[in-house]
Order: sequence, then C-alpha cells, then structure tokens
Amino acid sequence: MTPITPESVLRVHGRVSIRPEPFGALLYHFGTRRLSFLKSPVLLHVVESLGEGRTVAQALDDADVAPQQRPGVLRALATLRESEMLVEEAA
Amino acid sequence: MSTATLLERPAPAPRLIEHFERGLNSPICLTWELTYACNLSCVHCLSASGRRDPRELTTEECKAVIDELQRMQVFYVNIGGGEPTVRSDFWELIDYATSHDVGVKFSTNGVKITSEIAERLARNDYVDIQISLDGATAEVNDAIRGPGSFDLAMRALQRLSDAGMTRLKLSVVCTRTNIGQLDEFKAIADRFGAQLRLTRLRPAGRGADVWHELHPTQDQQRELYQWLLAHGEEVLTGDSFFHLSALGESLPGLNLCGAGRVVCLIDPIGDVYACPFAIHDEFLAGNIRSEGGFDGVWRHSDLFARLREPQTGGACSSCQFFDTCRGGCMAAKFFTGLPLDGPDPECVRGFADEALAAVDGERPKPSGDHSHRTSPPRPRAGKSRPVKLTLQLSKPTAPPVSACNANPLAGLSID
Amino acid sequence: MDPKSQTTTADVIDVETDDLVEDVSIDGMCGVY
Repeated sequence: MTPITPESVLRVHGRVSIRPEPFGALLYHFGTRRLSFLKSPVLLHVVESLGEGRTVAQALDDADVAPQQRPGVLRALATLRESEMLVEEAA
Repeated sequence: MSTATLLERPAPAPRLIEHFERGLNSPICLTWELTYACNLSCVHCLSASGRRDPRELTTEECKAVIDELQRMQVFYVNIGGGEPTVRSDFWELIDYATSHDVGVKFSTNGVKITSEIAERLARNDYVDIQISLDGATAEVNDAIRGPGSFDLAMRALQRLSDAGMTRLKLSVVCTRTNIGQLDEFKAIADRFGAQLRLTRLRPAGRGADVWHELHPTQDQQRELYQWLLAHGEEVLTGDSFFHLSALGESLPGLNLCGAGRVVCLIDPIGDVYACPFAIHDEFLAGNIRSEGGFDGVWRHSDLFARLREPQTGGACSSCQFFDTCRGGCMAAKFFTGLPLDGPDPECVRGFADEALAAVDGERPKPSGDHSHRTSPPRPRAGKSRPVKLTLQLSKPTAPPVSACNANPLAGLSID
Repeated sequence: MDPKSQTTTADVIDVETDDLVEDVSIDGMCGVY
C-alpha cells in the first residue's frame, strides 16, 4: 500500500464507531468486528478532524500536532487504513 | 536489569492493560441474560437456570436498556440466559438492538433455530450466534446437557450453515469428560463453517455442585494448554484460560479479569453483577430499575469503584507468572471458598492445593436458584458431598456388617 | 514486563516513538458468550 502523506485524503469508515476514553479512544468496526485502541488523545483529535474531503495535513493542523509528532501519527493513520477503520479517497 | 531489591526498584509505569483495569467509559463485552427460563437443565449451568423469574424485565424495560446502551455507545451485547430464544419477544428485541447501533452476539442451545430463523439471522449483519455443545458425541454431551441436546445443537448448526451464516461459533465448556475430544470438536466446527470456542468451567450456579467432579485435572489442563498453543488464533477461548499462561507462553488474549472494569452482567431481573460467573450479593453492583439506570450503575456503583482501584495481587504477586496469570479468576476463587488475594483453585503451579484442603465450613452459595424442580431436590453446594455423576460399578467385597447397625465403627479393623 | 507483550510501559505515550494504535484481541471476556 502507498504510504500516508499529508496530501492523502482519509475518512472514517461508515461502519466504525468511535468512543472517546480517558486514555484516547476505542474504535469498533461493525463489519470486521475488530476493536482498536487509539492510545493518544492527539491521534483521536486527528481522526475526528478527518472527513468531508479534508487532507491529512489539514487534520494535523486542526489537531495542533507538533512537527516531531507527525511521523508517529502518520504511521498510526496507515495502521488504521490497513485495518479498514479509515478509508482513503482519491485526492 | 539492575541489582536493586524489590523495594528499591521504582514502580513500573502502568501498561496499557492497566488502563483497562481502571475501567472504561462503557463496558465492552457486556453480558445480558434475558431470561432464567430454559428448556434444558445442564448440570453445570452458571446461572442455575430453568424456571422463569416472574420479576423478569418487560419488553419495554428491555428496549429502554437498549436505548441506554446505544447512548453509552456499547458496541455489542452478548445475550444469553437461560435460553434467550424462549422469550416470545426475543426476535423483536434483537431487531430493536441492531437497528439502534448495538450489535448482538447471542448464545443458544438451538431449540428455536428453524430454517426460517436461520435464514433471517444470516441476513442480519449485526447478529452473531453461538451454539453450545459440551461433548463431541451424544454420549458425552447429553450426560451434561440432557437427553436430545446433542441432536438439537447439531440440527441448529446444520440449518445455520445451510442458510450461509458465517458469523457462527461453537462454544464448548471444557470438562473432565470432554478434554479428550478436542480434535473432534474442531472437526464439528469445521464441518459447519463455525469457529470453535473452548471455555473454562467455573464453580458458578449449578457448576458449584459438580465442580469437583467435572473440572479438568492438572494433567488435562496441560493437555488443553498444549492443544490451544498448537491451534493458535483459529480457536477462541473467550480469554478464559489466562491462568494457564503460568505453564509457559501466554495464550492470545488480554489475559486479565475484566469484572466491573471491561465487562459486567445484566441479569433477567435487572440486577447488575461484576461478572456472569459471580451471581452473588458480594458482586452485586446495583439494579437497572434504579434511578440512574444501567449507566448510573456502571459509572457510580461502589463495587465497581473498588474493583477499578489498583489491585495488588496479594500472595500471587511474587510468582514469576503473575504478569500473565494475574491470580486467575475471581469467581472461581470465591465459590471454592478461597481468598480473592490468593491463587486460583486451578493454579497450575499447585499453589492452591493446600489452601483448598484447608477450606473449612460452607463455601459461598450462588445467589439464586432458578433450576427446574427435581425430585429428589438438588443438593446445595457446601452442605454435603458433591453429586456423583457415575454409578459405582464394582461389587462390594463383603456383605454388610449388619442390616441395621448403629455403631459407625462396625466392621472397622485397625492395624 | 513480558517481552512478548505488545503493550508499552510508558505512562504517558511518547507520541514520537511509540505505536499509537493497538488492536485489541478480545473475544468475549471470561468465555461466556
């Protein structure tokens, strides 16, 4: 799969439920029945900022992600795309 | 690793599992027993089911619970009982749940699974189903679950498989009598396109009466453990064998007791317990009919607050396997009369053996008994010897001393 | 700390170096349903 870049356009899969928790969030995919932990409130904020055609860069800015944190967040977004929690759209 | 002593080492930072142990905003594997009514009388039933309780939640009350679960964003609910499908509103309730963002995974002995029902279930993508079976042959199964129950389960599996149901599980409680049939269980599951689950027997409900006869021996636990390792993630365990992790490599799963933290039980009359295996006042957190409803109990009950405090592990914390075993199952300890801060009764390192021998007096009895009335009445746990499941086959070697001899030492010779 | 465990020991997640997403392998807890 192509790596996630700031120009990638992602949205949360329609069958995913996001539940904030003190440590971050739980994501449950009603189709795959997979359950994922988001271990950071920063990442949750990024995920919640996606959608409606927004780019990853826009979501990173919305969530105030510091430059040194961005590679880790991009890796996490890639993991979520692989597990179908996030869906990539044509840019 | 430094040479600092246990006292000098700084406390390890909390692991992710410990976030779970502090409790979640909403339960994940919430179990909801819809009714105590059941067409069967399995000897080990964790909820001592059989007869309906007249205080059962009404259809409207059940829908109000589902509304709450939707608001709490509970992803799915595990529905059981008794036999949940004997409620006349069962299909209405699962349709209500699945159309209100709450997935349903339900457990059944198969009694109501007609071909039409099987077709309907196969089409609802938000419903998973699990068929209970405790023997790979009718002989072994029916000794535990009653005459005809094996055929009932197989018929349901066939109909579900024919209907193209993919989210199908075969759920087995591991006992002394079925550990030798693990490969056959796998074959049955494969035949119907089902996933096999092997789960742990607890001394809960009627299980308390048969625990000493039915729970696997230490040798069988080792056999089971090896088999589970060999079958990896294709066989599920419901995370119920984490105490076996002390045999070596830990098994897949979270390996922790989630009672009151990740899971809890709503029973047919709305009582909320920390866990389905702990139906006892000691683990009663509240009732959904109270003002705050289920959410109020989950968030504010004193019992759950206590369970969500950091646990020290007590006597087990010095064991090298504590990390993955975590002292085993709270309910198993409680109903065998063991202290909660000590080893599990099936501790694979044998640490419970002495403690079990020392258990004096009556063990805690499960709270309710909804069993079908039998004649003679079932013995209650803690009062007398466990019920023998097998008849004595050997003939006596000598005639009785006397047909009626009041002396208990009659015939006794001392060397 | 179990070396085979996938969990992190960091109390506060280090967003720069740690994995921020973890799959939860949770097939019904306690093995009931």
